[in-house]
Amino acid sequence: MSGAVVELVGITKSFPGLIANDAIDLDLRPGEIHALLGENGAGKSTLMNVLTGIYQPDAGRIFMQGVPVRFASPKDAVAAGIGMVHQHFKLIRAFTVAENVHLGWQDTPFRTSAGLLEGRTRALAERFGLAVRPEARVEDLSAGEQQRVEILRVLARGARVLILDEPTAVLTPGEAAALVRALRGFVALGYAVIFISHKLDEVLEVADRITVLRAGRKVATLPAAECDQARLATLMVGRELGAGQRHSAGKRQLGPIVLQLAGVSANDERGVQALADVDLAVRGGEIVGVAGVAGNGQRELSEVLTGLRPVTEGQVRIGGQIMHHANPAEFLAAGIGHIPEDRLRSGLAPSMNVTDNAVMREYSRPPVTRGGLFSPGAAMTLARHIVADAQVLVPNMRAPVRNLSGGNQQRLVARREMRVAGQALVAVYPTRGLDIGAIDTMLRSIAEMRDRGVGVLLVSEELDELLGIADRVAVLFQGRIMGVFPTAEAEPERIGLLMGGRAEAA
Amino acid sequence: MIRLQRVSTVGPWIVVAARVLSVAAALLVGGAAFAVAGYDVPMLAGSVVRGSFDSLFGLEDLGLLFSPLILTGLAAAVALRIGLWNIGGEGQFYAGAIAATLTGLNLHGPTPVMLPLLALAGFAGGAAWVLVPALARAFLAIDEIITTLLLNFVAVLLVNYLCTGPLRDPAQAVTSASARIPYELPPLLDDLHWGLGGSVALVSVMAVLFARTRWGYEVRLSGANRHAARYAGIPVRRRLIQVLLLSGGLAGVAGMLEVVGTVHRLQGGISNNYGYLGIMVAVLAGGVPFAVLPAALLMAVILNAGTVLQAYGVSNYEVLALTGLVLLFTAMGERIAYYRLSRPMRA
Repeated sequence: MSGAVVELVGITKSFPGLIANDAIDLDLRPGEIHALLGENGAGKSTLMNVLTGIYQPDAGRIFMQGVPVRFASPKDAVAAGIGMVHQHFKLIRAFTVAENVHLGWQDTPFRTSAGLLEGRTRALAERFGLAVRPEARVEDLSAGEQQRVEILRVLARGARVLILDEPTAVLTPGEAAALVRALRGFVALGYAVIFISHKLDEVLEVADRITVLRAGRKVATLPAAECDQARLATLMVGRELGAGQRHSAGKRQLGPIVLQLAGVSANDERGVQALADVDLAVRGGEIVGVAGVAGNGQRELSEVLTGLRPVTEGQVRIGGQIMHHANPAEFLAAGIGHIPEDRLRSGLAPSMNVTDNAVMREYSRPPVTRGGLFSPGAAMTLARHIVADAQVLVPNMRAPVRNLSGGNQQRLVARREMRVAGQALVAVYPTRGLDIGAIDTMLRSIAEMRDRGVGVLLVSEELDELLGIADRVAVLFQGRIMGVFPTAEAEPERIGLLMGGRAEAA
Repeated sequence: MIRLQRVSTVGPWIVVAARVLSVAAALLVGGAAFAVAGYDVPMLAGSVVRGSFDSLFGLEDLGLLFSPLILTGLAAAVALRIGLWNIGGEGQFYAGAIAATLTGLNLHGPTPVMLPLLALAGFAGGAAWVLVPALARAFLAIDEIITTLLLNFVAVLLVNYLCTGPLRDPAQAVTSASARIPYELPPLLDDLHWGLGGSVALVSVMAVLFARTRWGYEVRLSGANRHAARYAGIPVRRRLIQVLLLSGGLAGVAGMLEVVGTVHRLQGGISNNYGYLGIMVAVLAGGVPFAVLPAALLMAVILNAGTVLQAYGVSNYEVLALTGLVLLFTAMGERIAYYRLSRPMRA
C-alpha cells in the first residue's frame, strides 16, 4: 500500500437522486500514467473532484504514500501535491505567461518585475521540459501552448500527481505527441499522472494502466499492454459495439435541394467578414460535411443557415424559398433543426428545468400551446417523450438542465432538433463531449435523418467522423469554401492541405 | 471536523425557510439595536402587533399600505422575470397618478364606467413613463437601471409642478394639491377600499400569465437565456419592451388606486416610497407573483409599525432602517441556503 503515490479506497459520493461514485478504489503507482476511462456520467469528474478537494466524499479514504489525508478544500489538495489541468483552461488571457504562472502562488516574490517573473518562468520551463514563451500574452497562444502554461503552473506548485482532463482534445497531433513526451519525463521522476480521456487508441498508446468506470462503479483496472480497443469499449459501455461501423448507406435517390447558399457573405460579431462568397447546396437525403479548423467561419455558416445571422450579400434558400430576413422562427417553421456549437450558451437555458428546455422548439404549437394558452401538463408529456427518445437520464423533469451531464445535455438538444428538422438539420460538432457509445448513437441517428430524406449539414473537427458518414465534404478556410468533394474521392491528406489554406494545384 | 460545503441545488422549502429565517434574523438584530438605543423592545413589539392586528382601524391602515406595495412589488417582479431591473416604480407610480387625476378631473361619466377608465389611464401613464427606457434598453442596450431610476426624479418634480401650478386647487390654502377627484372606489371596510381586491386579482392574473400562456413561457425563456430565446425563435426585443411596459403599467395602477381610492387628490409625496419598497418586495418574493403577497404584507407591517412607533418617540428613519436590514439578511440568506454543514472523510 505504502508504495502508492495516491490511493483511493471505497470512495462513495452521492447527489440527490444519483450515486455518482459507488465504493471506488484506485491506486496510483509512482512512475505511471494512469488512464481514467468512462462514458459521460460514469463518475470520472466526481472522482477527480473528490481527489482535488472540491467535493467531500460521503464515505471512503484517501492515502498519500500510505498516510491517510483529508482534503477539506482544493487548497489542501494543492498543498499535498495534487494538481489538475482542466479541459477549459483557467488562465487570464490578458496576462503574460509569466504572470499567469505566478498568479496566486505563495512563492511569488513580494517585489517583482516583469523581467524577474519571466526569468523564474524560464527556469521552471527548463526544469520541467515544457517549452513556453514567458513574455507572451496568453491570448496570443495556441491551445497547445496554453495547455503547457497550465501544466507548468501546476508543476511549479510542487505537484506530485498531475490530473489531466481530456488533454489532447484541443491539440494537433504534433502537440499531443509533445505533451506525451513531457508527461513521460514527469513520471520518470517517480510522480504519477491521471489521464482522463474518451479516445481509446490514445489511451492505449499513452497509459501504463487503465481504470474503467461505468455508472459510478469501477469496472476494472488493467495494464494497457493487456487491453485492446474492443475490450475497453465493451468494458466502458457494457455492450459490444460493431467494430468500425460505417453509417453511409448504399445508393439512394437524392431529393431536391433543401438548403442553399448563393454567393453568401456575412460578418462576425465584431463586424469583420467571416464568410466570403459561399456557394453551397444540400439536397434532401444527403449529408454534407464541413471540414475545417475551428474558427474559420463554421459558426457564422451555421448561423446564417438557421436565421440567427443576417447575410451581407447573397441569398439563403430553404426548400427553394428565399429567406429574406434572418429570423430563427421563420427558419424553424421552414423545417430547419439546429444543433448549435455551444449548447449552454445558445441551445439551452441552464437555469430552467428539463421540461421547459425540451419543448423550446415546439412550445408555440399544439399540444403545448393552444389558443395562446401554454399547458404545463402537455409540455411535460412532450418533454418526457423527447427525454425518453434521447435516452437522457434525468433525476426529475423539474431539475434545472444545468444539473445534467454534458453528454445528456447534448443528447437532449440533438433529439429536440431532429424532431423539428423536417427539411434539414444543421449539426455543429454534434459529437463533441460525447463518449464512444454516445457518439455511435448520435451518428446513427443523424444517418437515420438522412435516410428519411432530410438534408444534413454536419460541421465537425473529426475528419474520420466526417469521412465515415458524409456523402460530400466541403472544406472551409477563412470563410471561404476551398472545395467540395464526394467522400469517395476525398483523401484525408488533400483535405488536410485545403484546411490549411493550400489551394488545389491546377 | 465540520466543514461548510456548497450544494448546487436545494429544494423549494429550503428556499422558503431561508427567507423566513432571514427576516426573523433581521428583526432580531433590529430589535437588539433598538434595545441598545434604550427602547423597551418587548413593549414596542407588543404595541406594533396590537396596533396593526388588534383593531379594525389598525387592520385598515395595514390594508391601505398593503395594496400599493402589492402592485409596485408585482411591477418589479414582472420585470425580473425577463431579467430586467425596473427601478422606476416610483416615477411610474406618479405618472399613473397624474394620468388618473387628469382623466378624473376632466372626463365625466357614471362611476362604474369611470373607474375602469381611470385604471386604464393609470396603467397607460405608468407604461408611458417607462417607454423611453424600454426602447433604449431594447434597441441601444442602454442600462434600464439608470434610465428608470433617473426618471423617478423627473416624475417627482412634475407632480410638484402640477400641484403648485396648473392643477392647484385654490380652495386649499395650506398644502399644494389638486382638486378632489369626483370618483371613489367602493369601500371594502370603512376606509379600506376595493383597491386591495384589485391588487390581489392582478397578482393572480400575472401568475397565470407567466405560467399558463405562450407569452409567459417566451418571457421566462428570454429572462433565463437571451441567446437561447433568440435561437428558439422568440422576438426577444419585443418581449423586453412589452414586459417593461407591463411593469410600468402595474406601478401606474398603484398610483391610480392611491389617488382615486385613498388620497382622492394628486399631491406631492403620495408615493410614500412605494416604488422603491416595491423593489424590495420583488426581491423578497424572488420574482414569483404569488410570493409578492406575503412579501408585501411584511413590508406593510414594517411601515405600519413606523406609524405606531412614532407615538413612542421612535423616528420613522429607524423603522425604515429595518427594511434595509430585512433586504440585507434576505440577500445573505439566499446564498447561505446553498451551503450545508458536512463532516468530511468519515470511512
